[in-house]
Amino acid sequence: MTRVAPMAARAAAAALMLAACGGTGERARDAGPSNALLVIGYDREPDTMNRFATHILEDIQGCIVEPLVVADDSMRLVPVLAREVPTPANGGVRLRADGGMDVTWRLRPGIRWHDGVPFTAADLKFTVEAINDPAWNPESTDGFDRIASVETPDSLTAVLHYRERYAPYALQFVRGALPRHVLAGQDLDRHAYNRNPLGTGPYRLAEWKTGEYILLERVTDYWRGTPAIERLQFRFIPNATTRVTQLAAGGVHLIPFLPWDLHRDVARVPGVEVRRTMGNGYEHVSLNQRRVPAFRDVRVRRALWHAVDRTLLVRTVLDGLAPVVDGAIQPMSWAHAADVTGPSFDPAAAAALLDSAGWRDRDGDGIRDRDGQPLAFTLMTSAGFVTREQVAQALQAQWKAVGVATTIDLVDGTAIASRWFAGDFDAFLHWWQMPADPEITLFFAKDRTPPAGRNINYLVDDSLTTLLYRSDAEIDQGRRRALLVAAQRRIMTLVPEIPLYNTTKLDVVPVGLGGFRGNPTNSGPFWNVHEWRFDR
Amino acid sequence: MSLVLRRIGHALPLLVAVSGLAFALIHAAPGGPLELYLSNPNVRPEDIARLRSALGLDRPLPEQYLRWLAGVARGEWGYSLMDGRPVLQRITERLPATLELVLAALGLSLAAAVPAAVVSARGRPRWLARVLQGAAVAGISLPVFWLGLALQLVFAVWLGWLPAAGRASLGDGGLGDRLQHLVLPAVVLAAVHAAAWIRYLRSSLADVLPLACVRAARARGLSPRRVLWGHALRTAWGPFVTVAMLDAALLLSGAVVTESVFAWPGLGTLFTDAIARRDYPVLMAFLMLAAAVVVVANLLADLVQARLDPRSR
Repeated sequence: MTRVAPMAARAAAAALMLAACGGTGERARDAGPSNALLVIGYDREPDTMNRFATHILEDIQGCIVEPLVVADDSMRLVPVLAREVPTPANGGVRLRADGGMDVTWRLRPGIRWHDGVPFTAADLKFTVEAINDPAWNPESTDGFDRIASVETPDSLTAVLHYRERYAPYALQFVRGALPRHVLAGQDLDRHAYNRNPLGTGPYRLAEWKTGEYILLERVTDYWRGTPAIERLQFRFIPNATTRVTQLAAGGVHLIPFLPWDLHRDVARVPGVEVRRTMGNGYEHVSLNQRRVPAFRDVRVRRALWHAVDRTLLVRTVLDGLAPVVDGAIQPMSWAHAADVTGPSFDPAAAAALLDSAGWRDRDGDGIRDRDGQPLAFTLMTSAGFVTREQVAQALQAQWKAVGVATTIDLVDGTAIASRWFAGDFDAFLHWWQMPADPEITLFFAKDRTPPAGRNINYLVDDSLTTLLYRSDAEIDQGRRRALLVAAQRRIMTLVPEIPLYNTTKLDVVPVGLGGFRGNPTNSGPFWNVHEWRFDR
Repeated sequence: MSLVLRRIGHALPLLVAVSGLAFALIHAAPGGPLELYLSNPNVRPEDIARLRSALGLDRPLPEQYLRWLAGVARGEWGYSLMDGRPVLQRITERLPATLELVLAALGLSLAAAVPAAVVSARGRPRWLARVLQGAAVAGISLPVFWLGLALQLVFAVWLGWLPAAGRASLGDGGLGDRLQHLVLPAVVLAAVHAAAWIRYLRSSLADVLPLACVRAARARGLSPRRVLWGHALRTAWGPFVTVAMLDAALLLSGAVVTESVFAWPGLGTLFTDAIARRDYPVLMAFLMLAAAVVVVANLLADLVQARLDPRSR
């Protein structure tokens, strides 16, 4: 006769009772979202709270450290700490005879850092000098390194003397500024600022529990009015499925950047809704002309585009979540050329083009060949993204239907970056997150192949290159747009890559949260967090 | 005592060899900590080159290894490539959470495995023994992440009895709250190990039960329970403890999947993060810690074995 069973049963009952009696008595679901606390399920822990040094997104930092201007939900630049966006028309931009330019930033009066010290032009000057100082390693010095000097004629005005014409000048302070009174003369790599930054924004850091969460509390005397939501808790939950389970269990209230393949799981969770925002990026297939001789023929590239039914792809694999796009500059950008559209889905046209390019199936194996070489290449894409793997398989099948053989190569996160940067691939399925400023020279100019840029199609076209560099030096928006439209037309003629769809963002938001507006740029969905409120 | 000293003497060169192998392997993996930054279009090659030089990543690999080794000899484990903080700090702040989880799982495993193995070995009551054997097979076969997600779904979403993830609730963190958060991940981690231990201990017991000494004890009039727990288990214990200790050592680094599913802020999530971002200093420290734990566990297992089983002395 065993006495084990009753013993075990007693032990189990005791454990369960102990667990059940803990905490708040009955195991209630965590409190729902309210103006007292909003819990966000965030997919990773920040590496640093310093906006200039972080290598990942700046959503949390952005609630504390405000920019001078921000790209809003329509991708328009609106002033925040600046009084206005400097333009040639309002005297904020002056082109110098020596080929340089002067940009004058006028700050809003009365802004103070959270410690009470006034926010002044001296902070802007300090920021430029700190970034250009070789002793510090910010993430990027782009743009800052073109500034020869900064003058501060008064405490609210900073004049930046650029050595050359720099079209994206308006975004120079999209990360805000560093506080001079705290960081001057300090070791920026090791300062406590990196764990608890001083800002002017609607929130300040209350607690950072490493590995678990960051808690932000509101700044009651914030210059745009006291934020309605008292506390924001960003919980770090790298596993996407766990994030959704937490949402269903009430442990988190809001999930930004929901992976597309979990969209249907979230639809079943009560009390939340999925907000879609067009993204400032596009998923596309880069075709490496340097490595694959077949890709050097524009007929082959155009044929590959004709062979893909992008509408079907979006409707099935993407559940209709994202619109098809035809180029690098997205529809909500002021530089977008709406009348430049791509080849339609037409397998017959694809076949005809490939025939005319000399690619025919001579050996009867279903794959076209020429001079004994099959029309075959490897499609590289990142591992671990369900949607992308499915898109890759769909492309493979559609290309096979026109006699092109594709092998799929899944490569992981950091390894893939060194591959594409070295041009070590045939075709690459991926997206570019475009900067809010519509500069695309980096991606298409003939001298911007890696390491100088991201022209990983290795496209060499003189007229396109000229157009792009001229647009970079053009400060007047109307003229710049004309140049960029011409560039988009030229790109469509050349078909260096195959755009597929827009990188639409999905944010899961609790019902009843007013003021939430998704943002297509890297400003992120928290760009206007000071306006959020629950009306209860 | 001489055993201990001898083993430590053997362990040091072993650990150095492990460190060299680990260093070579993690650097052999394609990609690196800086390549990821390239996805930001504003980051230029000059920026990457600057960082690479500042972090000492442009030196030849053997030099980087020797620098690391020299640092470790001085007690300096370096700085995380990710956030610039000292590696030791990043590891020690995560250690308590993992220890909590691992010890709870160990306790649960033992509490479940020993009685279950005994019942299973005795074969009576038959229905219970069969159920336990089936459970043991299921426990070994079920993937940890599936079990974790399934339990989350049942207990956190459908029933609402327990929290789905994390270590504590905001503003709480009292013992009851922490226990509630610990239950699911500890059960998941324990399930797999308990299953393996049940089978191991059961077969060890099954070998011992028919032995002459056991039958002799029965013949001397001792009750079956006394024979089982007092004699048979004491004999079968030794090999089981060895296996359990080695297993427990692996639990420290093996809680990776469980921690990921339950967003448990321990060493497991630190490890997966460090791998994804190729944070070499953190990875090296973590691997050395895991190796040291295995060495210590081996040593302890041998000592315990010597105590429990005079035959092996």
